[in-house]
Amino acid sequence: MSVKAIAAYSFPSRSRQELYGDDQLVNVWWRNNRFLCAAATFRAPKAMTWADFRAGLMDPWAASDPDFDPASPAEWTVDGAPLNPRDDQTLEQLGVGHKSLLSFTG
Amino acid sequence: MSTPRKLSMKKRYSALTRDLDWTPTYVDPKAVFPYTSFEGIKIHDWSKWEDPFRLTVDSYYKYQAEKDKRLYAVLDGFAQSQGHLSLTDARYLNAMKLFIQGVTPLEYAAHRHFAFLSRFYDGPGPRFAAQCQSVDELRHTQTEVHTLSTYNKYYGGMHNWPEQFDRVWYLSVPKSYFEDAMSAGPFEFLIAISFSFEYLLTNLLFVPFMSGASFNGDLPTMTFGFSAQSDESRHMTLGLEAIKFLLEQDEANVPIVQEWIDKWFWRGYRLVALIAQMLDYMLPRKVMSWKESFELYFEEQMLGGLFPDLEFYGITKPRHVEQAIAEKDLLSHQVYWTLYQFSFAAGFTTTIPEEDHLAWLSANYPETFDKYFRPLWEKAKKIQDDGGRFFFQGLPQLCQICQVPMLFTEPGDPTTLAQRQVVHEGERYCFCSDGCQWIFEREPEKYVQAWLPVRQIFQGNCGGPTVPEVLAWYGLQDGDSGEYLGSVDHQNWERWHDHAASAEVEAPVGSEPAGARA
Repeated sequence: MSVKAIAAYSFPSRSRQELYGDDQLVNVWWRNNRFLCAAATFRAPKAMTWADFRAGLMDPWAASDPDFDPASPAEWTVDGAPLNPRDDQTLEQLGVGHKSLLSFTG
Repeated sequence: MSTPRKLSMKKRYSALTRDLDWTPTYVDPKAVFPYTSFEGIKIHDWSKWEDPFRLTVDSYYKYQAEKDKRLYAVLDGFAQSQGHLSLTDARYLNAMKLFIQGVTPLEYAAHRHFAFLSRFYDGPGPRFAAQCQSVDELRHTQTEVHTLSTYNKYYGGMHNWPEQFDRVWYLSVPKSYFEDAMSAGPFEFLIAISFSFEYLLTNLLFVPFMSGASFNGDLPTMTFGFSAQSDESRHMTLGLEAIKFLLEQDEANVPIVQEWIDKWFWRGYRLVALIAQMLDYMLPRKVMSWKESFELYFEEQMLGGLFPDLEFYGITKPRHVEQAIAEKDLLSHQVYWTLYQFSFAAGFTTTIPEEDHLAWLSANYPETFDKYFRPLWEKAKKIQDDGGRFFFQGLPQLCQICQVPMLFTEPGDPTTLAQRQVVHEGERYCFCSDGCQWIFEREPEKYVQAWLPVRQIFQGNCGGPTVPEVLAWYGLQDGDSGEYLGSVDHQNWERWHDHAASAEVEAPVGSEPAGARA
């Protein structure tokens, strides 16, 4: 279905990737954690390495839960598919796109 | 020809409302009423619109003026007697902060849109009804502002609500709801606001605030509630009249109306998530639990009372309603737990429920509270006992439709967050529920435009990239946000009650000029 309107109705997305320059939005969900009420959204360069993403963005957020152990995240997925990230790979190389959902158990 | 000296009530009403209508002859009627055909709704006879209230403008203003007089007398008396000191607790006002920030602007939006509709419906019956409701909504905006200004003098969180409504993350939930309705056609707006909001969900929305006021010593808000009650019952009747009118005019209207009911039930249900937490967590003296309220006002009165009547027209219960029912033991806890960890960026404060409150929650939610939620509060308490305060150090993933942080869980599995993703024209969109995903897929062109607070912050449109810059852009001041214990409101409340013997109330903390404090 589509919108019924009085005239042609077509507008760009208000959160499309180009509005973030060389960056993109990435959602991160700690699957077996209920202390953090929801997944988090970050703005990260596509060329950011996994190590930098972890150290600069994800780990400080996950540490909101005092029981977070940076060594424990496992069983990574990206948009539902299994992921085995290496520290030197970039988000782009890992197939993490704009508004992708990364998830892990920890 | 003799003119009767006085018309009967019925004739007078007809003369003052319907007789003012005419059929345009030198302009195409479609050009005069351009919005009432594109939605596909067919109206054959506008005169079938019944206005059960038969109010004329002169009697309308007379009644409203009398109600205003009573309300303002109460407000004056309450202010003069320092009535705010007899509230159950200062934290009660968090519910009223949410009210003025999130509900009052909706009254104003309703005023604007009903004014628009009072020009653009073809029939004089609905035009007049829309005009009366538009005036009602403006009066509610005004009286709510005056009612709560009693508290604004002494407490935080109420000083910048119109701007906050346009900017703050959790207020985008009611704002986007209403803008979705205002940007729809004139008939969808009726189903969205007059039927779903003012009929289907009205008791879940307004009764908790007004009963909460009555149970917690808030005489001004309670009196405002009484003053609005007769208007609200007129709005409810308008909602019911609207749906029956549309359904009776043409059978082809039925599937269109059904989809609107499906959409607006779910949109409205997600909006009342904010009320659910208010009832169970923000009121120091409880009225009823969210679960009881949902069972009585929604399951019993609407699903059990209204929908069997609508079956006659071929209307069925709203899509996804079973998921709402299944959430009733979880909703309020999940939402307040979220507000607790994000109140550093809110116009109200939150705190860990005290022992007797936790016991009330366990008693009212025997299946879920101790199992899923008490452990969370115990862990937060441990952090607090160690001198900390748990906050979410980041920004949450938001649902593209309801704009609530994606805090809701999978149907039947309260331990797994629900995640739904759709790729539309090469871009990913995420949703909190099947209901929100379904709404997106019906009209993706509309919702790709959503102004989502988290994404706007990341685009640099909200004052700057850091939390303090965003909070400054929200217009939040010291004492508006964060933890209740030790907050400006809490300190003032303690001070004022320590000095209960003193006739004079001291100035609130934070009201002195800079440097005046020792």
